[in-house]
Amino acid sequence: MQTERLFERIDSIHLEGITKKYGHGFAVKDLDLEIQGGELLILIGPSGSGKTTALRMINRMIEQDAGTVTINGINTKDADPVRLRRNMGYVIQNIGLFPHMTIGENIGLVPKLEGWDKERIKERVRTLLEFVSLPPDMFMDRYPRQLSGGQQQRVGLARAMAMDPPLFLMDEPFGALDPILRKQLQKEFLKIKNEINRTIVFVTHDIEEALVLGDRIAIMNQGELVQVGPPEELIFNPANELVADIVDTQRKFKHMDTLKVKDLMSPFDEKYVLEGRTETCDAVDVMTERDLETAFVFEGERLIGQVTMVELMKCRTRSQKLSDVARPVKIFQPTDSVAFALSEMKSTGEYLAIVMNSNDPIGILISDEVLLKLI
Amino acid sequence: MENMLTIRVIADVWERHLMTMRTIEHLHMFSIALMLSIMIGVSVGVFIYMRPKTADPVLNFLNIVETIPDLALIVLLLPILKLGAGPTIAACVLYSILPVARNTYTGLKGVDEQYTYVAHAIGLSPREALFKVRIPMSLPLIAGGIRIALVFCMGVVTLGGLVAAGGLGTVLQNGIQLYQKDAILVAGIWTGLLAVILDGFAGIIEKKLHERYGTW
Repeated sequence: MQTERLFERIDSIHLEGITKKYGHGFAVKDLDLEIQGGELLILIGPSGSGKTTALRMINRMIEQDAGTVTINGINTKDADPVRLRRNMGYVIQNIGLFPHMTIGENIGLVPKLEGWDKERIKERVRTLLEFVSLPPDMFMDRYPRQLSGGQQQRVGLARAMAMDPPLFLMDEPFGALDPILRKQLQKEFLKIKNEINRTIVFVTHDIEEALVLGDRIAIMNQGELVQVGPPEELIFNPANELVADIVDTQRKFKHMDTLKVKDLMSPFDEKYVLEGRTETCDAVDVMTERDLETAFVFEGERLIGQVTMVELMKCRTRSQKLSDVARPVKIFQPTDSVAFALSEMKSTGEYLAIVMNSNDPIGILISDEVLLKLI
Repeated sequence: MENMLTIRVIADVWERHLMTMRTIEHLHMFSIALMLSIMIGVSVGVFIYMRPKTADPVLNFLNIVETIPDLALIVLLLPILKLGAGPTIAACVLYSILPVARNTYTGLKGVDEQYTYVAHAIGLSPREALFKVRIPMSLPLIAGGIRIALVFCMGVVTLGGLVAAGGLGTVLQNGIQLYQKDAILVAGIWTGLLAVILDGFAGIIEKKLHERYGTW
């Protein structure tokens, strides 16, 4: 079934007086919100604040009891839900790739239903996989269960982009990933976001994520909108205690000079360790299994560098060892000052460094995370 | 050892009782019955899944059909469908709808809600979600139901020999009436062997489907 596109680009989305009852209470109560075309709007709030419900009313996965949602002036109630949803990319936390379809089939499902021919679908799938840094030849014919969590989430993103929708709805897409993986994917997502320049509504409960990604942030509580505005505005002019609490403004008074690396590092884990003599192709499998995007290469006790999944997947020649491809990594002492560490990292553009206590790795320093902890 | 089954005896019985033809008849009835069972059973399973209120009454009714002894069912169908393959095929189908329908229903219900949710959210119509997601994901269970139906059908088709349906049942029937032990043995073992082979075959398909579509 081929469906005509409802809209090519988003000028604005208006939520007016949206209400959804839930038992005796309200999941969302009289919500007014405008989403501007081209922006990334974050919906954030404690659990039960109605942020996911609000998101799901945009693509009519939940129907509101009162109020209207209009996209470019079209009331969504008047639109065919299937057509509406095919015009939006949708990504959720548990991804939901269909286990009986290959990665290629998963991404190409809606194009296939839209009647695209085989060649065109294949071409599209390849482009999208390249776009999310998964080599198509390696991944197209695999099944979702053969992929790591991070890889699955990339495929989820590729699937959402299949029909080149002007609007993306993202429901805690990185919520289930471990912190380092999350940072890496956020960073890539930011890159993608800038490239595709689409309107995105993004639900999260992680304020750090919201501050990094959001053009504007809408804070919700108990089904109501508390404040909406750019990150700076929320930080410097919080509407009330709750907002201040969520963006945690007290933290900005912390003195960077007094903080040591050990205060802000993430603990080190054995899973980040790879042996220098491992072959690159094998390393990809190991990292997939351990759900890693970045790993540190050791030769015995000696640290020789770092490797990332994206780089490893590029070098396809057998017999290449990790020790040949590892890039240098910044090393800090736990007692180094954070200010020093950050300026060092900034000078080389690294966002990841390792913290060593004499010869033992004890922690990982992630620049974005450090900055956010400081705000 | 005059009763021993030598190749000669087997060949003799095979020829005298036209067993090649009987086997073809047998498999012919069997395949028609199985095809109908699958088509009707899967449809019923999908139907009661789409209209959950009908599920209990329909399954209960099919359970009652299941309790009628097979021979009695064939005889009951005789006045309606006359002599020949008709009553036998009909009885097979009536018996086999339950396992196929029940497994289809259970399979469809067992598909994790998150997949249906995602299917709808990315823009599949209810029909597309059913055919592209729910049914494929229930295939291992549906295949299990079909395998049960297959064994039922083999048994009932053999009984058809009693009501002039043809097939290997006829050879057994003749053997009993003429008291030819060789014929009874040869036809009996051959019928059993066929059932085992077909079941084994179905088992392999079921296993393949499990590997391909199974998520548990």
